[in-house]
Amino acid sequence: MNTGQVISGIGHAGLIGWVLFGGVFRSEPLPFEVTEVSVISTDAFDALFAGPQPETGTEVALPVQPEVEPDPVETPAPDEVVVTDPPEPAPEPEPEVIPEPPAPEPEPEIADAPPVQPQPEQQAVIAPEVSPRAVPRPSERVAPEAVQPPDPEAAPDEVEQEAVAQDEAGETVAEEQEATAPEEAATEIVTEAEEPAGAPTSSPRPPARRPSPPTETVEAPTPAPTPTPTPTDNAVNDALAEALGGGEDEVPQGPPLSAGEKDALRVAVSNCWNVGSLSSEALMTTVVVAVDMTQDSKPVTSSIRLVSSSGGSTAAANQAFEAARRAIIRCTRDGYNLPVEKYGQWKEIEMTFNPERMRIK
Amino acid sequence: MMVRLLCLLAALIAAPVLAQDGPLRIEITEGVIEPLPVAVPNLVPETEGSAEMGAQLARVIAADLTGTGLFRELPSSAFISQVSDFGAPVQYADWKAINAQALVTGAVSVNGDQINVKFRLYDVFSGAELGDGLQFAGTTDGWRRIAHKVADVVYSRITGETGYFDSRVVYVSETGPKADRRKRLAVMDYDGANVQYLTGSESIVLAPRFSASGDRVLYTSYETGFPRIYVLDVGSVQRRVLESQPGTMSFAPRFAPNGQTVVYSLSQGSNTDIFSMDINSGAATRLTSAPSIETAPSFNPDGTQIVFESDRSGTQQLYVMPASGGEARRISFGEGRYGTPVWSPRGDLVAFTKQSKGRFHIGVMRTDGSEERLLTASFLDEGPTWSPNGRVIMFARETQGATGRSTLYSVDITGRNLRPVRTPDGGSDPSWGPLQR
Repeated sequence: MNTGQVISGIGHAGLIGWVLFGGVFRSEPLPFEVTEVSVISTDAFDALFAGPQPETGTEVALPVQPEVEPDPVETPAPDEVVVTDPPEPAPEPEPEVIPEPPAPEPEPEIADAPPVQPQPEQQAVIAPEVSPRAVPRPSERVAPEAVQPPDPEAAPDEVEQEAVAQDEAGETVAEEQEATAPEEAATEIVTEAEEPAGAPTSSPRPPARRPSPPTETVEAPTPAPTPTPTPTDNAVNDALAEALGGGEDEVPQGPPLSAGEKDALRVAVSNCWNVGSLSSEALMTTVVVAVDMTQDSKPVTSSIRLVSSSGGSTAAANQAFEAARRAIIRCTRDGYNLPVEKYGQWKEIEMTFNPERMRIK
Repeated sequence: MMVRLLCLLAALIAAPVLAQDGPLRIEITEGVIEPLPVAVPNLVPETEGSAEMGAQLARVIAADLTGTGLFRELPSSAFISQVSDFGAPVQYADWKAINAQALVTGAVSVNGDQINVKFRLYDVFSGAELGDGLQFAGTTDGWRRIAHKVADVVYSRITGETGYFDSRVVYVSETGPKADRRKRLAVMDYDGANVQYLTGSESIVLAPRFSASGDRVLYTSYETGFPRIYVLDVGSVQRRVLESQPGTMSFAPRFAPNGQTVVYSLSQGSNTDIFSMDINSGAATRLTSAPSIETAPSFNPDGTQIVFESDRSGTQQLYVMPASGGEARRISFGEGRYGTPVWSPRGDLVAFTKQSKGRFHIGVMRTDGSEERLLTASFLDEGPTWSPNGRVIMFARETQGATGRSTLYSVDITGRNLRPVRTPDGGSDPSWGPLQR
C-alpha cells in the first residue's frame, strides 16, 4: 500500500464520517413564526383594561361637557316639522292647491276606447295561481353582510334584541319590548338561473369593530389651587391650546377617530342606504353629502346637504341624494355611537356615497 | 419655562397629525337592496259614495308599486295616523314610527260618471313633499287607468325612471290542451286586467307586436294554411294582409320605431331571410342574403340598427346589422343557442331566449354581447318583451307534460321579482306597448 492510497483512504474515511456525523446534508429547519400566547383569566383581562386607562377616563370626565351649549343643532321634533310643512294647512282643500296636471293629463276622457270584442261572452277573470316555486330562493334583500332568516316571531329591525314581557306579577323592571332582528339578507342578487346553493350564507368579511362604549364618568379630582400664571405662561398656554384644540374649549376635540370607529359609522349608514329603488342612472352617480351632528351623535336633518355629485345628470344626483339623506336619517334612532370625547372630530361629516359596487350586485 | 417651550414645540409638530382637515370624511360603498316601505292610505272621499272608489284606487296604486319589487306596502292596520282630510298637515312622526319612507295621500270625488283624483307624495324621513300635488280627471270606467297614472308619477319621482303601469300588452291567449290548443290575440293592461280579445280562435295566430304608438299590431296568422303577416288597428279591430307572395311564408314581423317600416322574415324554399317593407307603399327590401335562416329582427330605439338571430355559424346566434342591411357582426358567443332578441327601449341591452343544457333562459346582454346575464331558468322560457321604461321583461313560460300550460311572467332586469302575470287563460308571445297618453 503506497502512501497515496493511505492518504486517499484516510481522506475518504474522513469525508464519510463527516457526512454521517457532521450534519452537512441536514436540511435547514423550515422558517416558521412563533406567536406567544398567554392565557389569562377573565378577571385579569377585565382588570387589565378597566384599571390603567387614566387618560380615557379623564377625557370623558370633562366636567364642562354637559354645559357645552344648549344643543342648537338639535333635530326638530317631527311634530314641529309638520307645523311648517309645505302642504297648505288650510282645512279647505281648494282645487287650485293642486297644480294643473301636465300636458298629457288635460285629456278629460281616459276612456280606453276598447276595441269591439269578437266574442263578448269571454270575460276577464282572475287566473288561479300558477306553479309556485318549489325551491327556496335566497333572500330578495341584499345587504353588505348576509343575514340568516330571523326568528319568525321577531319584528324586523336593524338591531337584534330579545323580547321582554311583563311578568305575571307585573314586577318586571325592564320596559316591555318585542323581539326584533335584522331582516334576512343575501350579499348579492341571485337570479333564478343561478344556483341558489352558490349564494354565500355568511359574509367572509369579519365583523366591523364597534367603538367601545364611553367609559363611565370618573369623579374628577378637585383641582389643587394653582399659582397665578405669569403673562408669559398665558401666552405659551394659549399657543398650546390653539395648537391642540383650536381654542374651542367647549367642544371636546379629542384625537381623530380610529379606523374602528369610522368603520362602525360606515357600517351603520350602509345598513340603511337602500339603493334598490334607484334608477340605473342614479346608480351611476356618486354624491358627497355633508351633515352636521349633534353631540349625542344624531344628524341634524335640516343640515343634510348635497356637496357635489359626479357621474350622472342633475335629476339622477337628486335621486341619489334623496337615498343618501334617507340613509343618514333612518338608522339614528339611538345615535351613531360615536365617541363623545371626540365630538370636535365628527361634529361635521362628509359622506361620499359611491354606488359602484352596488351596480354589480 | 424651557419645558413648556419644548411642549409647545412638540405640540406644533404633532398638530398636523392630530388635527383633522375639515369635516370627518367617510366613503360608503356598500348599501342594501330592499323594497322601500310605502304607505298608501285609502283616498279621502270628497263626495258621497266615493269611499269605495277611494279604497279601490289605493289598492291598485299600491299593487302597482309593490309589483315592481322596489316597494313594500305597509298594511293599513299598522297606521297610527289616519288620513281623513287631504289638506290636513301630515303627521310625519306617526309615519316615521312605522318606518314608512314614502307616503301617498289622495282624494277622490265622483260626480255621475266623472271621477276626479288628486294626490300628494311625501318623503317621510325628510319631512317634505316630493314634487307638487297632481290631479287626474276621467270617467269612472277608466278609474284603473287613473290609478296607474298616479302610480306612474309616484314611481317616477322616487326612482327617477319613467313608470310603466299605464301601458298595455298584446299577447296570444291560449286555451285547451296542448294537442288542441286554441290561440287568439288579446290585449290587456300590463297587470293582466281588462283583457279584450282581438281575434277569434279559428286559426293559429303568433307573435303579435305593438307599434311604437300602440295603435296598431302586427301578427302572423295561419288562417290560409301558410303563415302570413297582418296589421291590425287596435281601436277599430280592422285588419289587412301586409305581406303575401305566392309560395312564400312570412312571419316574425316587427315595427320600426317610426311606425312606417316593418321588418320580417320571408321563407322561400329552405332559405329564410330578413326583409323590410314600407307599410304604406308595400315596397319590400331584402336586408340579408345568406343561405342560412335569419329571423326575429328587432330595431334599436333610433331605428338605425337591427338585432336578429341566425344559424349562419352553424348554431343559432345573435347578430347586429345596419337597418339598411349590410355586414352583420355576431354578438353572442356563449354556450348554447340564442334566439328572439329584443332591443331595450333604453338602447343599452338586448334581451334574448337562450337554450343551454336542456333548459331555457331569459337573459340580457350589452349590445356588444358583453355582460351576459341569465335571469330565469325553466323547462321552457321564451319570447321576451321590454316594459316601456326598459326596467322589466315579460315573457312566456310553459310547463312540462301533456297538461303543460303557457303563462306570462315578468322579471326585473336585475333578475329579481320574478312573478306570474295573471291572465284569464294561458298566454304566450307577449308584446309590451308604450306608455299611454
